[in-house]
Amino acid sequence: MRGHWHRFAILLVVVASTAWPARREQQPSSIPRQQCALHALNRLTFGARPGDLERVLSMGVDKWINLELHPERIDDSSLATRLRNLSTLSMSPEQMVETFPPVAVIKAVSQGRHPLPLDVEERAIYRAQLEWYRDKQENEDSKVTGRQAHSPLDSGGETGAGGLNSMLESAHRERIFHLPPGQRMIAILELSAPEQQRLLRSLTAEETSALEMGLLPRQRETLMALSHPEQVVVGELVAGRLLRNIYSERQLEAVMTDFWLNHFNVFLGKGADHYLLTSYERDVIRPRALGRFRDLLVATAQSPAMLFYLDNWMSVGPDSEAARGLSSRRGRQPSEPNGRTLGRAGGGKKSSSGLNENYARELMELHTLGVKGGYSERDVTEVAKAFTGWTIRRPQEGGTFFFDSRMHQPGNKVVLGHRIKQSGEREAIEVLTFLSRSPATAKFIATKLAERFVSDDPPPALVARMEHTFVKKDGDIREVLATLFHSPEFWANAAYRAKLKTPLEFVASALRATGVDVADPKALSEALNRMGEPLYGCQQPNGYSMRAQAWMSAGALVERMHFSLALSAGKLPGAVMSLPELLAGQQVAPDGEHLLAMLEDKLLNGEISPETHRIIAHALDTTPATAIRGERGSGGQELGVIAALLLGSPDFQRR
Amino acid sequence: MHMTRRVFLKSGALAVASTAALPAFLKRAALGIEAGGSGTRRLIVIFQRGAADGLNIVIPHGEPSYYTMRPTIRVPRGSELDLDGFFGLHPAMSALEPLFRQRHLAVVHAAGSPDKTRSHFDAQDYMESGTPGVKSTGDGWLNRSLQGLAGQTVALRAVALRPTLPRILSGEEPAVAFNDIQSFAGGGRNSPAGWPGNVFQQMYADSGDRLLHASAQEAFEAARMLKLVNPHDYTPAPGADYPRGRFANDLRQLAQLIKSQVGVEIAFAEIGGWDHHVNEGSTEGQLANLSQEFSQSLAAFWTDLGDLGEETVIVTMSEFGRTARENGNRGTDHGHANVMFVLGGRVRGGKVYGRWPGLAPEQLNEGRDLVLTTDFRQVLAEALHRQLGIGDLASVFPGFHTASSQFLGLLPG
Repeated sequence: MRGHWHRFAILLVVVASTAWPARREQQPSSIPRQQCALHALNRLTFGARPGDLERVLSMGVDKWINLELHPERIDDSSLATRLRNLSTLSMSPEQMVETFPPVAVIKAVSQGRHPLPLDVEERAIYRAQLEWYRDKQENEDSKVTGRQAHSPLDSGGETGAGGLNSMLESAHRERIFHLPPGQRMIAILELSAPEQQRLLRSLTAEETSALEMGLLPRQRETLMALSHPEQVVVGELVAGRLLRNIYSERQLEAVMTDFWLNHFNVFLGKGADHYLLTSYERDVIRPRALGRFRDLLVATAQSPAMLFYLDNWMSVGPDSEAARGLSSRRGRQPSEPNGRTLGRAGGGKKSSSGLNENYARELMELHTLGVKGGYSERDVTEVAKAFTGWTIRRPQEGGTFFFDSRMHQPGNKVVLGHRIKQSGEREAIEVLTFLSRSPATAKFIATKLAERFVSDDPPPALVARMEHTFVKKDGDIREVLATLFHSPEFWANAAYRAKLKTPLEFVASALRATGVDVADPKALSEALNRMGEPLYGCQQPNGYSMRAQAWMSAGALVERMHFSLALSAGKLPGAVMSLPELLAGQQVAPDGEHLLAMLEDKLLNGEISPETHRIIAHALDTTPATAIRGERGSGGQELGVIAALLLGSPDFQRR
Repeated sequence: MHMTRRVFLKSGALAVASTAALPAFLKRAALGIEAGGSGTRRLIVIFQRGAADGLNIVIPHGEPSYYTMRPTIRVPRGSELDLDGFFGLHPAMSALEPLFRQRHLAVVHAAGSPDKTRSHFDAQDYMESGTPGVKSTGDGWLNRSLQGLAGQTVALRAVALRPTLPRILSGEEPAVAFNDIQSFAGGGRNSPAGWPGNVFQQMYADSGDRLLHASAQEAFEAARMLKLVNPHDYTPAPGADYPRGRFANDLRQLAQLIKSQVGVEIAFAEIGGWDHHVNEGSTEGQLANLSQEFSQSLAAFWTDLGDLGEETVIVTMSEFGRTARENGNRGTDHGHANVMFVLGGRVRGGKVYGRWPGLAPEQLNEGRDLVLTTDFRQVLAEALHRQLGIGDLASVFPGFHTASSQFLGLLPG
């Protein structure tokens, strides 16, 4: 182990003889050659897995980067196998809404506006949700009127038969838990709807897993959907994202998907977006993550997820047919001085009364030009007018984009001095094309990419070079990235390990480094919530900051240490780490020092600072073994604590 | 924006596994000495998330339109707890009535954020950033307030009872968030005092990494202080009857922190569930139940603070009010202005502040909701200036112009 940090020290002073790329040779402060592959892995992936470094070295860094830039050439079938049981990941929003109905659909069924499905399991989900919905309505009614609510089961009397019923029910409940999986599912489906709801809504976490034990993936989905259908959709969305980031072979594509999902942020918690984000990620963002910026911009603008999130779907031109129709029908209603008509009095959430500038503003401020991009309030209004009519058909039921000419503001528009002739739906396309080709956009996107891949304060010369490529190649993201990866600033020593891992990068890299086979990523997503960056959970359209100062905090750091300890102790449900497996084939080391050396190699590829190494080694030397592994613990637990110290160390927080 | 995170303790205190002599206030806490007052003034902000129906919480019973616009959810005339002949508290808010009579509690009606958005998340965002209408503000106004505080920064100067730092407290100044004192203080194996927490602490103390070093220092220092609070063993003051629920539990922990005198000057807590579109209820029902939890928690907190209430100001807010008229589902929809409460020893309570805009149809905002006559920043600026002595209000609320001559007079100058 002493040899280890000697090696590290030597690496720091080695001057590369044959460096990649060639240009780097003139840079006296560039990364030593041996570390180039690790640096590339740190930046283009969610962290190196055991064996990755050797693979990149044997392929050659240049060739590997080029391959990552062309994800379509990389086989990703093992990921597909991992994701195959998450059925909603391949459904259209309409299918999801139909299979795992949200409250809006249940309400429609209850009012006779929507038919029940034919499939037995789907029908059971609807039946359960209807029961819950009616029960809730009745309860709320009774609270107001002060009368007792009676469920059909309680009708036998207050205590006598009711007590008997509950005794029978608890005996029945016990029996269900002990049935073999297939029969268990049938027994649950055969329960009366109220019994089913009482059972499923009272489960503890342990009881839930006991009930799910041995069920087929589809049956598990149904079981969850009986009580919380939306949670199936949301849970699979989050699980899919985590599994992809950890296991996809197309790592740069995953990194760029994360980048654009954050750039074009849509908040999961905003109503209908529960059912729209799966398609947003799969059909809008990922296929264009390395494509042309304009295509990505247009696709996000037309996506129901974005139209709903930033309210454009309800934006009505003040002089549009829809607004004029509304005002003539509502002739006696007062109207605002600017001529806008008012929504229904006391109107519901959907009453739209005029122009909504939310999307127009964020489009320029956050998606294209940047906050200092030189646009005025007037430009915001003009862009908003051009976008009127870009709306969603049935947003609560899966939603599809369509242009409603009745909502569209007539007349020509002027955006940043550029005249847009009245042309309906085409106007917004013209705005998007114009914005995507603005030099301010090139600068803004280049800066953000450099912040992601190089450092929180990237060198201006690098940004300028990327900007130039962006303009010259008409916003080709792959080309801009190629410029970035071939720039000396990317390979400069100043960039080496200059980035703090975001919560997602930290969690994903810990799972990749330890080679854990994740069965259920729920514990991982919960950890991300506690670290302050839940997946799809950023309310503000800004997305999470690329700069660590905005999010690194005391509480978040404590969570990283807690997470490292829990992961290494095998206490994360669904993500159980096996150190013996990780160290398979290696001679089990006799003492703490050797274990430390082995784990430094495995988890950090030997990249550990002398200080961190010294402190852990000293602690292992001076702490009694019983304290390290607990009174009755084994050597395996000792290994776990060392792994935890390494994963929670300052060194592992950087990439 | 260029943010530089500040290190909260000067370099001397950053020694490895520091066991340096404790500051006097910590010794007091460690020894369990009850002090009459700590001399620290503090501000506590409470967010009612979901847009509370201020018109049914502080009822304008002198307003005929109130009764015609809310045929099923109105609180019947005479059921309210009259405050001043025009306004009355919802009967479920009775726990706060004595505080109003004792002139510790003030009400500001028709207050809130001037932005017109009816989106919960935008409106909350604006109230937390303190810049209504401006999305790109990176930090929260409570964090910016910390920059204006005099005196030494200690780890628990600004706390939020939440899993993560809320928007309102995020920014360059140190602030910590936790759900549970006990688990943050290292109830498990990550205690800075024991193995392996002590090793983590040394690694970060020795790290040349400025940001990680500072964050870790905050964490370990806060955890160390919290351990002195002795979270296992807390008995609220006699008469402080906290109801059940998360909000009461948060306030109880906050009272414990304040009474331990670990240097809390700014704190944040929240209570959700106010979005009553359907079956809101009248004297009983959903709003009544939540109002009861809210008011009983606050009253218990106030009782629990005892003498320390003298140096405490509590301000409540909610992202917007609700429609003046009830809707077709015996609930209310998203509206505009709302009611705020200001509670504290130095507060000039027993009065409803703010200009009342009226509830007649032609007096409503966009024909549907209470017009806003007091910007929430007006209330908060006064609290920051007169309670915490913050002079540079323009840095806390950029773009908002205010002067002490415009204050409502909630606190003595």
